[in-house]
Amino acid sequence: MRNTVLTAILALSLSTSASYAQSPWTGADDLPTNPLACDGTPAAAASMPYDGGVPTNAPDRKGKTIKVVDVPKLVGIGYFNATSKGIADAAAEMGNMEAKTDGPSKANIDDQITLIDNYITSGVDGILFAANDPVAIAPVLKKALAAGINVVGYDANSEPDARQWFVNQAQFNGIAKAMVDSMAAEVGEDGAFAIVTSTFTTPNQARWIAEMQAYQSKCHPNMKWLETVEAQEDNILSFNQANTLINKYGDELKGIFGMTSVATPAAADAVTQAKQCGNIAVVGLATPNAMKPYVNDGCVKSVVLWNPVDLGYAAAYVLRAVADGTLEPGATSVNAGKLGDLSVINGSEILLGAPTVFTKDNINDFDF
Amino acid sequence: MTVNQASIGATPSRSGFLRRIAVEYGQELIVFSAIIALFIVVSIVNPRFISANNLTTIFAGNAYIAVAAIGMSMVIITGHIDVSVGALIGVLATISGSLAVAGYPIWFAWLAPVLVGMAINSFIGILVAYARIPSIVVTLGAMSILRGGLISVTGGDWITDLPSGFMIAQKRFFDIPAPLIFMVVLTVLAALWMRHTPFGRSLYAIGGNKEAALATGIPIARRTVMVFAIHGAFAGLATILFATQLQVIQSTVPPNLELTIITASVIGGVSILGGTGTVIGSTMAAILFATIGSALIFVNVSAYWLRAVIGLLILATVLADMWRRRAKS
Amino acid sequence: MKLKSLIRHETFLALMLVTALIVLAFQSDRFFTVSNLLNQGRLMTEVGLIAIAMTFVIATGGIDLSVGSILGLVAILTGVFWNNIGLPLPFAAIAAIFVGTMAGFGNGIIITRFGVPPLIATLATLALYRGLAEGISQARSVRGYPDWFYVLGQRDVLGVPTQLWILMAVAVIASVILAYTTWGRTVYAIGSNEVASRFSGLSVEKTKLALYTLSGFAASVAAVIFVSRVSTTRSDMGSGIELDAITAVVLGGTSIYGGRGTVLGTVIGLCLIQALKNGLSLAGVKGDGTIMLIGAVLILAILASNIFERSGTRN
Repeated sequence: MRNTVLTAILALSLSTSASYAQSPWTGADDLPTNPLACDGTPAAAASMPYDGGVPTNAPDRKGKTIKVVDVPKLVGIGYFNATSKGIADAAAEMGNMEAKTDGPSKANIDDQITLIDNYITSGVDGILFAANDPVAIAPVLKKALAAGINVVGYDANSEPDARQWFVNQAQFNGIAKAMVDSMAAEVGEDGAFAIVTSTFTTPNQARWIAEMQAYQSKCHPNMKWLETVEAQEDNILSFNQANTLINKYGDELKGIFGMTSVATPAAADAVTQAKQCGNIAVVGLATPNAMKPYVNDGCVKSVVLWNPVDLGYAAAYVLRAVADGTLEPGATSVNAGKLGDLSVINGSEILLGAPTVFTKDNINDFDF
Repeated sequence: MTVNQASIGATPSRSGFLRRIAVEYGQELIVFSAIIALFIVVSIVNPRFISANNLTTIFAGNAYIAVAAIGMSMVIITGHIDVSVGALIGVLATISGSLAVAGYPIWFAWLAPVLVGMAINSFIGILVAYARIPSIVVTLGAMSILRGGLISVTGGDWITDLPSGFMIAQKRFFDIPAPLIFMVVLTVLAALWMRHTPFGRSLYAIGGNKEAALATGIPIARRTVMVFAIHGAFAGLATILFATQLQVIQSTVPPNLELTIITASVIGGVSILGGTGTVIGSTMAAILFATIGSALIFVNVSAYWLRAVIGLLILATVLADMWRRRAKS
Repeated sequence: MKLKSLIRHETFLALMLVTALIVLAFQSDRFFTVSNLLNQGRLMTEVGLIAIAMTFVIATGGIDLSVGSILGLVAILTGVFWNNIGLPLPFAAIAAIFVGTMAGFGNGIIITRFGVPPLIATLATLALYRGLAEGISQARSVRGYPDWFYVLGQRDVLGVPTQLWILMAVAVIASVILAYTTWGRTVYAIGSNEVASRFSGLSVEKTKLALYTLSGFAASVAAVIFVSRVSTTRSDMGSGIELDAITAVVLGGTSIYGGRGTVLGTVIGLCLIQALKNGLSLAGVKGDGTIMLIGAVLILAILASNIFERSGTRN
């Protein structure tokens, strides 16, 4: 029993007073940030030379039917179902691509690596991937390039030289701006907010949180970050964590950011069930279908996301263009079917566009 | 706080009745003391911790873990284990939600997970009891099959547009959240059943000493299957709470749910060697974890160190129990 | 110990492996090639090392659930010692392995000195060690290791993946120790009847302490190999690997109640699982189908083994 007491004291002594202005937000990574201008002036795009990789002795695949495997971070969540649908749509439209989605059942770096390795051995022509870890996935992708396979990433990047192109759904700083601006519009310039994320080790989420901090301190300096909590990819845990935040901060808490498509609806449900709609804003990344109930009943005003179906669709078109040799290092744009021409940024990335902010007015127009 | 702890430890020696309770429910008392200590300390730091809303979050939000841990405790007391329960709950939630959305009567959507849970776990029980495959082997296999099957069948589509009548976990009776009522009633019923019925008591005999149980004429194999079936029913009941908490059901297996449930059972004093333990202990352990998780946020433990502190607290509870048993013997 | 029944299970399992290899080879002509099979060896080394140590632990009737967390902790420490503290990488790795071994020793102390059942003790340290990994790393990755370090995880020695040599060496040494030394017999004796072993003067506590320490050591070495293979460290590395290792061990015929089991069985079990994962994938079966099949194989293999072993009276 004494142990229990000691550890309880230890728990207290480990406490950190919530926020020093300078210290990074919990859950942010330590890479440099690049916040956008507050008024939305697009940053002058510095042109960069191509920094992607090149497959070794890739056979001429121009116009031929190619076998493509899509390896998302994990299967069984709405988001990657949508990207997978986009890939399938594009493949059906082009007629000369056989696409198949296969991913790990948990967002696990090792399972993903093993799967990709197997598909290299099985002799596919192209690999589409969304990396669970940018560095960990690099060796196996380099192996694919060395085997002459075309490699294109989407959603979550790898190290640039481990793949040829990466289809960027929206730049990190663009997402950060959309999120923080939406939150500021709802809670005011001096509102306090908290963040519910999946795990601190998820690279995209860590990047967004870092960019959100940079943008907030630049453009909305009086808003106050309270804390970040982890909730895995588990909606009941997300719900409980969001409730705990509401209970802990009481009236001080004006908004909650949901960083994943699991956390955002759960946070919205917590606010709804706590009867705090209108008092606590929920802004987050989420798929429209999961958010419709909360947006339609007015509890959530804005949901930020790109269209994942378009993302998968664009990725498939980019892979086709690479295989055909029509997209080469140095190109400035690529044609992506019904999406038109997409521009090349950062050397070897293709930008899908600005993130969409879903509101009551348009959310029912989307189905994914 | 030390005073409080000491007084809880000291009180039982004042009367024979209390001493009997202390001996019989030692581990439960330790877990209970830990919960009380946490509540006192944290509510001094931040009084909002004991607000009605936060108590609801702690108790009702985690009731499904406690309910699942009741069945798990019975399985473990009988000398077995089940690592597939997390996957099972994922599957049952999907079944229940799909039925509700498809327009079947609500009572049917609630009943289905209980029945299917019983059916699946009876099959597991048959493999364990009659085919003599160790339960960890069967349930490791079952975990893979259920997890893979769930993804194959649903493709991971979430279930939305659930009818509002389905949401039993959001209801209140006499202003008490329904999950809390579920948790308390089921725990008490299970505890009484295990203590006062021949069947319930036979579980301890099977887990404690198989030969002796056989000698006294307990049909071990049949009882084992039935225990797994009951465990399946509790998994189904836990599923009802789990699936009706939110307006969407995520048709995937919640990460590490089986580990949380098993931990609640064993920390609550259910001996993994079988033969001892109570479901009151496992329910309290489930509450303890929920309290720890919430408390650490309230006292601003750095989120990065949260899991380490939880691990330390679990270890401390285990060691405190061992220390108690030594002191007793 | 019933040597006959032991041999029977492993023979049966080996037959299953051969059948699987043949069937899978017909499904895809890229499966049964030297380069593919060697590559599979690379992928199964980490879980293999852990499973071999786990064979000993389970043979004593114990279990170690904390191995995945030790793996994560050692991976993080390797990065932190090297990058943040500035130790040269070899020393950083050795220091991290030392800490991981001590983590295993800690399990052993909790189990032997305090008498906590292994499952409970390692459930608690599973949470603790993973928490330490997350706390120490602050969820940051350490990357950019020098090129020579990748020899361990990504390169070949004499045409065979480096880590596969390690796995093979460990497998041979471990099977000799378990099968032919007094110490190995002590392990079985503890698993068959711990009380009797204690009365017959065997050093039960010391043996168990050594085994959990070894299990921590194996997880630590696996961690360094893992870091070298994926060229980064993350605090969530190795989560869930304990169940993969246990699956291989029990598929290999080690009794979860202790008292019997061989390293050879574990190795065959490992190969069977890896062959199924790889071969089915090459044959076009998706990941979710594969894990279902592995689950079914696990149950059926033990079931079939029980049926063949008519004298199935022990539990």
